[in-house]
Amino acid sequence: MEFKDYYAVLGVSESATPEEIKKAYRKLARKYHPDVSKEEKADEKFKDVGEAYEVLKDPEKRAEYDQLRKYGARGDGSFEPPPGWQSASGFGGGGFTDADASQFSDFFEEIFGGGRRGFSSGFGGGGFRQSMRRRGEDVHARLALFLEEAFHGCDKQVSFTVHEADEHGRVIPRHKTLKVKIPAGMREGQHIRLKGQGSPGIGGGEPGDLFIEIEFAPHPHFTVEGRDVLITVPVAPWEAALGATITVPTVGSRVNVKVPKGSTSGRKLRLKGKGLPGKHPGDQIVSLQVAMPEKHTPEAEKLYEQLAEAEKNFNPRSKLHV
Amino acid sequence: MTRQDQILTVEVVDSEGDTFTLREICERGDCHAEFVIKLVNYGIITPVEDAPEAGQWQFDVAALNRLRKAMRLQRDLKINLPGLAMSLDLLDEVQEMRREVARLNHRIRQLMGEW
Repeated sequence: MEFKDYYAVLGVSESATPEEIKKAYRKLARKYHPDVSKEEKADEKFKDVGEAYEVLKDPEKRAEYDQLRKYGARGDGSFEPPPGWQSASGFGGGGFTDADASQFSDFFEEIFGGGRRGFSSGFGGGGFRQSMRRRGEDVHARLALFLEEAFHGCDKQVSFTVHEADEHGRVIPRHKTLKVKIPAGMREGQHIRLKGQGSPGIGGGEPGDLFIEIEFAPHPHFTVEGRDVLITVPVAPWEAALGATITVPTVGSRVNVKVPKGSTSGRKLRLKGKGLPGKHPGDQIVSLQVAMPEKHTPEAEKLYEQLAEAEKNFNPRSKLHV
Repeated sequence: MTRQDQILTVEVVDSEGDTFTLREICERGDCHAEFVIKLVNYGIITPVEDAPEAGQWQFDVAALNRLRKAMRLQRDLKINLPGLAMSLDLLDEVQEMRREVARLNHRIRQLMGEW
């Protein structure tokens, strides 16, 4: 078991006052709150901060922890409590962190015990009431799809955690993995539901549902807005000027598109029904971008000179008043 | 075939799909109706269609998600209702701006020829 340095977690000294501890906790809780933070492993850090505060805010627990801290971790960082160790303070729940008590570390469990005992969040800190019939918790998860997967539909593996009670009424997190069939045409932010795949019910109550929110992984060429798929397509200056039929990629295929004569950079062409499929399929929006060759042949340079003469009244910087 | 190998067919939930009554959203969110009514009054969550009686309200899954988020923020950061309303609006705005920045970065890379 790894020793947890709660002072280091909160970034306070061993002699920190309760006020300093509370202040450090509040700041870090805001920083790492999983609903607010985009930091990597924010969820884990938030749990660590909550656990550290649970111990250090309570004078009894803090005194016990300080005692153990002196007893110390072994050279390899592992830790075993002294033989016969039993916490006098125990875990009583309450405070900012009671609802997450079931997710405290093995270290906390070993030292103070009881963090995973009872359905503290839903039952006001009380124990597990066998007689109570209660629906299981819904579980919310996110699933990132490649655009091609959303377009065509796919089978995906989804991993998530449910909370269930063991035979002693202790809340135990359990990791579940399911294979699910994602239908074609899912949009970003849309939800899918798997009935009965959430946490199990209590006292014969029905299980909760699993809700999965769809996210899209970034695509190198396409972006998505609602049901529409957007792409920027380069065209040669002569294709834009004279008009041309060009090949444009769509999700999973390609189509020929007619570029109108006299097109400019930024001109948008709408390919009806080539966006995400569905009852009301989206469109693909093609933005034209005039691209220049990196080098010109002497013949091309001569033609440009003729072009410059023929178009000498054109000022591309007229909007800059120069 | 083991349970894990089974491929489950999902139900797509959208704004035209399943909704929850006040009672159902309370059950799923593990909270009292008074709390949901307060969230609606502060504009933190919105029923799918406005109805004068709370008993007639219907909520979509986005409202359920927002309710749970509001409960976590209130529990963990001790935010009051006006603070919650502002925090959630700002978080939505931040999320939308992050998406917009990602879209614009993508567009800039395309315009710079890095496709």
